[in-house]
Amino acid sequence: MAAEVLARSLAEPAVLAADVKLPDIDYLAIAPMLVLFGAACVGVLAAAFVPQRLRYRVQVSLVIGALLVALGLIVTVARAGRAVATAGGAIAIDGPALFLQGSVAVLGVVAVLLIAERSLERGGAFVSRASLTPGSAADRDQAEQPGATEVYPLVSFALAGMMLFVSANDLLTLFVALEVFSLPLYLLCGLARRRRLLSQESAVKYFLLGAFSSAFFLYGVALLYGFAGATGLGALRKAVQAGDGNTTLLFLGLAMLAVGLLFKVAAVPFHVWTPDVYQGAPTPITALMAACTKVAAFGALLRVFTVAFPVGAVDWRPVLVAIAIATMLVGAVLAVTQTDIKRLLAYSSIANAGYVLTGVLALSAAGVAGSLFYLVAYGFVVLAAFGVVTLVRDADGEATHLSRWAGLGRRSPLVAGVFTFLMMAFAGIPLTSGFTSKFAVFSAALGSGQVTLVVVGVLSSAVLAFPYLRVVVLMYLSEPAEDTPTVSLPGTLTAAALAIGVLATALLGVAPAPVLDLAAKAVQFVS
Amino acid sequence: MHPVIPYVLAALLFGIGGYGVLVRRNAVLLLMAVELMLNAVNLVLVTADATIVGLPHSGQVFALFVIVIAAAEIGVGLAIVLQLYRLRRTVATDSIDAGEGTVLPRAEPMPEPGSAQTGPDQVGAR
Amino acid sequence: MGSYLGSYATLGLLLVVGAGFFAVAFLANRALRPHRPHAEKLTSYECGLDPVGGDWAQSQIRYYVYAYLYVLFAVESVFLFPWALVFDRPGFGMVTLAEMAVFIGVLALGLLYAWRKRVLHWT
Repeated sequence: MAAEVLARSLAEPAVLAADVKLPDIDYLAIAPMLVLFGAACVGVLAAAFVPQRLRYRVQVSLVIGALLVALGLIVTVARAGRAVATAGGAIAIDGPALFLQGSVAVLGVVAVLLIAERSLERGGAFVSRASLTPGSAADRDQAEQPGATEVYPLVSFALAGMMLFVSANDLLTLFVALEVFSLPLYLLCGLARRRRLLSQESAVKYFLLGAFSSAFFLYGVALLYGFAGATGLGALRKAVQAGDGNTTLLFLGLAMLAVGLLFKVAAVPFHVWTPDVYQGAPTPITALMAACTKVAAFGALLRVFTVAFPVGAVDWRPVLVAIAIATMLVGAVLAVTQTDIKRLLAYSSIANAGYVLTGVLALSAAGVAGSLFYLVAYGFVVLAAFGVVTLVRDADGEATHLSRWAGLGRRSPLVAGVFTFLMMAFAGIPLTSGFTSKFAVFSAALGSGQVTLVVVGVLSSAVLAFPYLRVVVLMYLSEPAEDTPTVSLPGTLTAAALAIGVLATALLGVAPAPVLDLAAKAVQFVS
Repeated sequence: MHPVIPYVLAALLFGIGGYGVLVRRNAVLLLMAVELMLNAVNLVLVTADATIVGLPHSGQVFALFVIVIAAAEIGVGLAIVLQLYRLRRTVATDSIDAGEGTVLPRAEPMPEPGSAQTGPDQVGAR
Repeated sequence: MGSYLGSYATLGLLLVVGAGFFAVAFLANRALRPHRPHAEKLTSYECGLDPVGGDWAQSQIRYYVYAYLYVLFAVESVFLFPWALVFDRPGFGMVTLAEMAVFIGVLALGLLYAWRKRVLHWT
């Protein structure tokens, strides 16, 4: 009988070819991604052919220009009010997709501003030959040279991949997008000019664990394909509703898929890479990962669970609730013990992943809207916070150990003031975006009866406020030590990024209504 | 009909790969273990493709996608591992940890004055 | 289930017979042969010559780039096969051709970059 099946599948290619139809592609709907992918390809060419002295300017304007054009196109498509599933149903351009793509583009612009900063350190935060032994003669030569401009095409590829990730309506497209945005990030992690061993360690860890988790993700996809006979999210929902497939395949596949996605959002059993990678990666890249990757990963998580598996929610919701609770608690408690500012922010980002999960698990329109708003608000705060981290430096580069931040408030009140404001936003003090966004997700969760989640969320926010306040106290109330690092004058780009981040944080705290409305209007998925 | 044997075989293959990732300490062997896991995926895809009747046979094409993406992933991985070897003369993953709190070998000797900082001026210290 | 597993019976039988053949041959060999090792006998056999050097040899790292470029192109070309099955069917036509041209163009872009960065230059 197996032989028959084999014979049939061997005899079939001719039939298969006749059955295949050319899918319609709505080019306007996917234009933002096409622009960014195109810019990335042009960027590769520019890195090879534009003369050395012009390269940096060309690359930076190319990326930022492409992101702005993409943003314009996203707004155009959103204005037209179309929600389509295009490319044979593999890509869905609907409300959440457009909102998240827009967020990725805006946050991406700010992250690129941080990445492009070159006045803090000669040649920027990246090197072109990261494998040179630190301190060798060749490396001293390199220290005099401007850094790698390949960074910018890599960032464009990553951002374009994230845009595809949030709009992928087919598990295979989802996987391709996952790799498209992950692979450049692995490389970017290892290109730091300072602390190269740590940077390299982070690249290796991120890559190995990322490859491991994407193998899980893919195995899940394959099992779900075995279950439903298709990988489209809509087809999966129909198959789950029909309920006549093999449930072993369904549950195993769903679990594996969830592992892959939860790894990317850094939820708790799958979070161990986060502190090391966030600490070791060049700070602007950490900012990019904390803001944009979070948006992309949660976008995909939302889409997969709300579009494909609303029927089985009784089965998977308790598991995800447990994961969300663990994420909030572990992130908050471990953040308290950290002595390095980048690790502290990493653990705080883990706890924040728990808060977004709370919104996701509300499984309601309000929950989706709350999560979308939270992601944008958090993205701005975290970008600005890492932007400040790039400014506090000593002769060895960034001074990230918390003890070095003692007394910073006396030596540079402005930077300390900005950082204090950001810490308050993280802690969720009213009149900052942190408060509005936490309120949005927690009220959505309460609205659908997830009381436990909300109680744990509020408790862990209280715990998490402690490390933030400790940094503030350290900056203002401790005496500056002899070796308190200087605060470098931010270059135009970092200053712009910081200004955008702080302004957005304040605006989303004081007048969140427009963005909240936008998010509330954008909750309708198509499939 | 339910093809138990290929599914079980794929699960075993995936398990061996996962075990390899967890216990191996050589970065290159880790990459090979990940490949093993991806090949288990291919086996599942092809099996599912052969057992599903009356639908376009997309599983075979999915397997092609997996092969190509795996090649790209391994390319990036080997580049990172190669860089690791150049700096440390080893690809053992348990000796990578520069770790939290350990004193790193000073990454670079002091660069020339003026090459790193824009100046000691502080923002707003006026 | 019985008939399904039954269809694998021949394969299983072949496996058992193969393993049995292998085991019997080696056990018989071990039982019959004399066993008198000395150092000379235990060296690696290299067509009668004394082996030189260790058993680990490093190859030039620059092969890596070539090998890798080759593998990438070989693997990417796999997409050409399903495409070749359908591109001349009604309803496909120029669009399909253009899409494949874009795909190959992106690949060529990578090669162009490698060439320009003198990766293909054998020093």
